[in-house]
Amino acid sequence: MRVEFVKAVEAALEADPASLFITGDLGFNAFEGIAERFGARFVNAGVAEQSMVGIAAGAALAGRKPWVYSIAPFATYRCLEQIRNDVCLHDLPVRIAGNGGGFTYGIMGSTHHALEDLGVLKGLPNMQLFFPCSNDHVAAAVHAMAALAGPSYLRLAISAYATERAPLAEHGATLTRTYARRADRARPGVTVIGAGHGVQVALRALAAHALDGQNVDVFGLARFPFDLAVDAEILESARQTRDVVFVEEHYAAGGMGESIQRLLPPLTSFTLLAAAYSREQRYGSPAFHMRQCGLTPEALVDAVRVRARAAS
Amino acid sequence: MTASASLRADALAIRRKFLRMHYEARAGHIGSGLSAIDLLTYLHGVWLRPQDRFILSKGHGASSLYATLHHFGRLSDEELATYYKDGTLLPAHPAPRAHAAIPAATGSLGHGLPIACGMAYTEKVLAARDGRVACLLSDGDCNEGSTWEAALFAGHHGLDNLVAVVDANGIQGFGRTEDVLRLEPFAKKWEAFGFDVVELDGHDFAQIEAALAAPTHGRARCLVARTVKGKGVRFMENTVDWHYWPMSEAQYAEALADLARADEVPAA
Repeated sequence: MRVEFVKAVEAALEADPASLFITGDLGFNAFEGIAERFGARFVNAGVAEQSMVGIAAGAALAGRKPWVYSIAPFATYRCLEQIRNDVCLHDLPVRIAGNGGGFTYGIMGSTHHALEDLGVLKGLPNMQLFFPCSNDHVAAAVHAMAALAGPSYLRLAISAYATERAPLAEHGATLTRTYARRADRARPGVTVIGAGHGVQVALRALAAHALDGQNVDVFGLARFPFDLAVDAEILESARQTRDVVFVEEHYAAGGMGESIQRLLPPLTSFTLLAAAYSREQRYGSPAFHMRQCGLTPEALVDAVRVRARAAS
Repeated sequence: MTASASLRADALAIRRKFLRMHYEARAGHIGSGLSAIDLLTYLHGVWLRPQDRFILSKGHGASSLYATLHHFGRLSDEELATYYKDGTLLPAHPAPRAHAAIPAATGSLGHGLPIACGMAYTEKVLAARDGRVACLLSDGDCNEGSTWEAALFAGHHGLDNLVAVVDANGIQGFGRTEDVLRLEPFAKKWEAFGFDVVELDGHDFAQIEAALAAPTHGRARCLVARTVKGKGVRFMENTVDWHYWPMSEAQYAEALADLARADEVPAA
């Protein structure tokens, strides 16, 4: 998603002279063009994430609209208090972009994974979270963030295993995507929801025709706080199926699944496929990590089948 | 009255106001407020212009800032009367978006200098305006890594519209800075980070004025202001205790009497 992000943020910088771009010394082979084009509006704060976010807050207090970039764990955990105190409490238009959400950085190891980023940020005052479902979803998120007067966070992820699948629909405000609709609404069905690129697990199942014959709705969420008044299709789907399978490349505690579960009508079941480390954790590619914690198309299809059998 | 004598009168009035606030509120953080009042008096009474900004990185000094702002007409009687009370916008550490003269909420140390750097960079580099930024730090602020991250930034970008003023009273949360986490050679550290440093007596207005007026040679300025925690009230001076304690009625009376006494002693 980084390529798409660079392109979108370059357009955002071009469109708004009050904006600037601050990196925590990351973005090699990505931001050189921005650096060259925007001069002093491109700032390298150094490997100093706390200071980087404080500087962004100071610039915002002086009337500017900074984008802040690092890899997702560095852009969130290290500087969490700066995000809370300096940015969120002051409701400032600081847009934080974290590259490598979830297991994106795979073999780089656990220090580079971000499995709790949305969780630590979602409770902060005024904060809005964006987590695109795929590469062609990034520009819409950047565009929405650029229009906000308050703080936001963008969770970028790798797309090495991604399936670019055209959605059936995408809501302009929530960015929620509908990827599949039940063939027969009179029949029992299952509502599949993915948070951000977590929905890729379902898209891969769809692409492999592994969900053929299953009566499923598939949605991809991309923005928090949720607005199910706007995303009425999800609400209606859950009301009808009463069976939800939720998938996210994030710890269950603090994740998007637990947040949406609260907003859904009474369900027969809510199955959550989420990320976690084990005590005997081993390291490898993003796909390896996804397999390790059962975030696979096969596991998703199994979960759907179990619910379908239970309902019939 | 000379300029210094006039500022001393301002500072005395602010200390009296500050002590009354703390006595009435039964609030602590008295010592660190008293050490900062002369610096705050000069900054708010003389140095800061309408286009300049002030960040109180040592957020626990909020009441000394409130008293100073009130003295110079930036806070109303009604606003100040709410200090420390339910429903106030003037809590023990500055609140966000509460007052035009207090741009940033602080209280967790190490946040002020990065914010000040962002403002100074915006003014000098992005907007090419002449706005200056002053940031008041404590010894404890300089334990925080984020302060030194920002110092690197200010040094690297030559933010000569930024002044970091360290209220170096030598005492922090649990003891003397020298015993807790040594900052010396303090001035040399700031110099090494690229600042133009002046070490001075933070209670001497002539020295403060000279330090802020001197050319910075394209560098950010740092004032290592040697101060006395509890300055002006002898039984509070140089103690860790008065970082925390509120005053009893007798202590308040003694503190006021001591301030009056100090005022009669001509400055050296």
